[in-house]
Amino acid sequence: MARVTLENIRKSFGNVEVIRDVSLDIDRGEFMVFVGPSGCGKSTMLRLISGLEDVTGGTIRIGGRDVTGVAPSRRRLAMVFQSYALFPHLDVAGNIGFGLSLARTPAGEIERRVRDVAERLGIADLLTRMPRQLSGGERQRVAIGRAIIRDPEVFLFDEPLSNLDAALRVRMRLEIARLHKALDGVTMIYVTHDQTEAMTLADRIAVINQGRIEQVGSPMELYHHPANTFVAGFIGAPAMNFLDGNVDDTGAVTFAGTTIMPAQPVSHRGSATIGVRPESLRLASTGEADFVARLDHIEPLGAETLLHFDTPLTVRLNEEVPASEGDTLGLVVDRTRIHVFPP
Amino acid sequence: MRSMADRRKLHLTPWTAALIAILVMLAVLFLMPTIGVLLSSIKTTRDIALGDLWSIPGQLFLGNYAEVLSNPAVHRYFVNTLIVTVPATTASIGLGVLAGYVFAKLPFRGAGILFLAIVAGMFFPPQVILVPLFRLFNGIGLIDTLWPIFLVHTALGIPICTLLMRNFFATVPNALREAAILEGASEWQVLTRVAIPLGLPALAVLATLQFTWIWNDFLWPLIFTQSDEKRTIMIGIVNLKGQYTVAWGVQGALSLIASLPTLVIFLFFQRYFIKGMTMGAVKG
Amino acid sequence: MERENRFWRVVLLFLPLSVFAVFVVWPLFSSFWYSFTDWNGFDPNYAFVGLDNYARIWTDRLFFGAIINTALWMAAAILLPTLLGLALALLLDRQLRGARIFKTIFYLPICLSAIVVGQIWTWIYQPDWGLLNAIISFVAGEPFTHAWLARPGSALWSVIVAWSWQQTGLSMVIYLAGLTAIPSDLLEVCDIEGASPWQRIRRVVVPLLIPSTIVVIALSVINSLKGFDILYIMTGGGPFHSSDTLAMHMYNESFKKYLMGYGSAISVVLFLIALVIIGFYFRQLKRIDEIYG
Ligand SMILES: Nc1ncnc2c1ncn2[C@@H]1O[C@H](COP(=O)(O)OP(=O)(O)O)[C@@H](O)[C@H]1O
Ligand SMILES: [Mg+2]
Repeated sequence: MARVTLENIRKSFGNVEVIRDVSLDIDRGEFMVFVGPSGCGKSTMLRLISGLEDVTGGTIRIGGRDVTGVAPSRRRLAMVFQSYALFPHLDVAGNIGFGLSLARTPAGEIERRVRDVAERLGIADLLTRMPRQLSGGERQRVAIGRAIIRDPEVFLFDEPLSNLDAALRVRMRLEIARLHKALDGVTMIYVTHDQTEAMTLADRIAVINQGRIEQVGSPMELYHHPANTFVAGFIGAPAMNFLDGNVDDTGAVTFAGTTIMPAQPVSHRGSATIGVRPESLRLASTGEADFVARLDHIEPLGAETLLHFDTPLTVRLNEEVPASEGDTLGLVVDRTRIHVFPP
Repeated sequence: MRSMADRRKLHLTPWTAALIAILVMLAVLFLMPTIGVLLSSIKTTRDIALGDLWSIPGQLFLGNYAEVLSNPAVHRYFVNTLIVTVPATTASIGLGVLAGYVFAKLPFRGAGILFLAIVAGMFFPPQVILVPLFRLFNGIGLIDTLWPIFLVHTALGIPICTLLMRNFFATVPNALREAAILEGASEWQVLTRVAIPLGLPALAVLATLQFTWIWNDFLWPLIFTQSDEKRTIMIGIVNLKGQYTVAWGVQGALSLIASLPTLVIFLFFQRYFIKGMTMGAVKG
Repeated sequence: MERENRFWRVVLLFLPLSVFAVFVVWPLFSSFWYSFTDWNGFDPNYAFVGLDNYARIWTDRLFFGAIINTALWMAAAILLPTLLGLALALLLDRQLRGARIFKTIFYLPICLSAIVVGQIWTWIYQPDWGLLNAIISFVAGEPFTHAWLARPGSALWSVIVAWSWQQTGLSMVIYLAGLTAIPSDLLEVCDIEGASPWQRIRRVVVPLLIPSTIVVIALSVINSLKGFDILYIMTGGGPFHSSDTLAMHMYNESFKKYLMGYGSAISVVLFLIALVIIGFYFRQLKRIDEIYG
């Protein structure tokens, strides 16, 4: 329905600049995730888009319309807060229908639409409960209900899952993904500090660091082609290994005491930070090792095993290993998965 | 944009201007009575008698204050009030701390009911226990001493002190107490070394409330004292009215001087007081 | 552990409970006893007179006047400071230069005693040179000399105004504390849903302030039931008992006429009224606790 455009957005609190010149185009119907460490300005970005904060500079457009100075309620958007922000004095129906009743919608219509939304979210039998009597997941659904009943063109989510326990988080994540499919064409902007959520939900991810967008792209783009060490380190778990290294004139990369010719040509020459994901390393059979390292610690996770070496280096394997801590093991690097970051 | 930021920050709009105008008007209205007394206290009786109580005086006249401060009866009233107020404030808070701690940290079967019964004591008009207390103190010969005032204020302070201290101690994590006990602390040491130091804001609230309440009280000294030797300041004001019948200025000066201790206590504890109110009171 | 806990419970509770029992609980129950006697306050001998004192209440015209005045007094003394305090808190809950000064100004009267407040306001209501009449004369353009405190029609209301002046600051402070406790995201929901300033106050802020209101009303009830000092100093219950409250009436009967038995009967009635209010209050408290935690 609506595309959201940010042009040179800035935001300062006092003389602290929190958002520094952010420009971004979010397509109609796109699921955009802002991800970044805590305090990087994600919530502020969302609040600027919603109009809860005024921009210090720049222009915000929703559906082509300049909404920079427009009141939040006139931006045709809905927001789901981390704390759910349910009114404790209203029951579920009252919370979902809050906006409609403000607009003096006839009671019958409110009731019909509330019931409709509640059925879609599977909370129709909770309508007379007070928020205190609901579980975290149910509260979350009510908050979402209050958002969808307004028929918004843009949905804003601020870390909606961070107050839920791990199992519920996975379930709600799926439901939000399903909701996005069901609400055809509705743009969603979703803030999280959890890269797994970002990877699983997003059409595109914007990685934010210190008020700037470091990189925008689809999850796989960011995974395979991170623009810098920040993005590389943030996307993917466990995090990418970084090693000091060097690229010689032929394009061969030297690190951890070994020299390797990457499958894709490297344009950079000279010293560099070399990035290798834990899943791009494997244990060597006799004779083929690129280099050896001493095993510090094993983390068996069941489906996979994490090996921590003293280099330091983490390796992720999909099988159990017969090695034990203190062993020195040979490692092989996947030639197609070597990242070179200029210093 | 009306927004979160807006709830806190204001830009100068017609609305804001109107708001400030309203506030200023209300503030003037609220200050007027106090200012009136202040004005009267720095005017001569003659000026006031000429119907000029409410105007700004041409010159500062301190004779009323001199009159009040040199009156030995006033000294006596002040001393008597202090003798009652400070110990009764301390004692009621002390007892409230003890009871509040038990209700918060050592609950037992029936504690809820007992707590409610004590707190309910807060709501009773003191007149209900007036006659029996009068008879009690009369019987043991304490009428016309300061003792009954001290004892009754201590006892009547227990409900509010217990309530606030229990609410406060309830916010102190149990783990702190358990950790201290594992270290070998006795319950008494937990109370005095852990709970009370953490409870200072609540103690400040109670000190303000109790001091103000006891200092300003009129009923108990009226009932329990008879001779001028044992009167407290609030009774003193009323008594001196006779002596200074038309000396409005002296009466004004006396009122202000009598209110000074509670004003100082409030201004001194103001920050804690408001903070403590939020913590303790809002969660009845 | 449980043995030690029991020991400490007894040790710590002993003093508070005994003081409370001796000086509050026991007198409370003795009041009932004295209300069945004709004790006069000094005579060690007195007689049990059964329900005579209560029968007398029915024929005491002053008592009924006092009941009505107590109801009026309590209703007004609760409503006015509560509403005014709420309004002030709503006005002051924003970043305003000097907000602190305003708060202090509105709060100051709380530090004053009822005696001092009574005195101040007696001067304001003074017929000849009181401020109120001076202002009215000025506005009306002709001399105005209504004796506010000396006329049955205006005495009680004049005291109620003085009382409200003193108490408003307290409810304002409590409401201000309550306002800062409202999570800001709930107010942001109002912005996003497009609530008007009035809707936001009526539909969200005021309901969320209910816990504060409970505290404000509790304190008002406590203070107004005690409302004795200020009446004593300003009107003494007069003129012609037109501003008598139960507390005032009880004092007059007990300590002016030395009818301690009858005074006790009045105080028992006062106690029962308080009991009803407390019962109601605690029920509300429980209900609200379920909603707001
Ligand atoms: N209202 C505010 N006033 C001052 N500083 C703020 C305000 N809101 C956020 N900040 C600051 O802006 C930075 C970004 O905050 P935020 O957007 O909440 O981060 P995130 O949501 O990514 O964790 C933080 O350093 C925070 O302290
Ligand atoms: Mg955030």
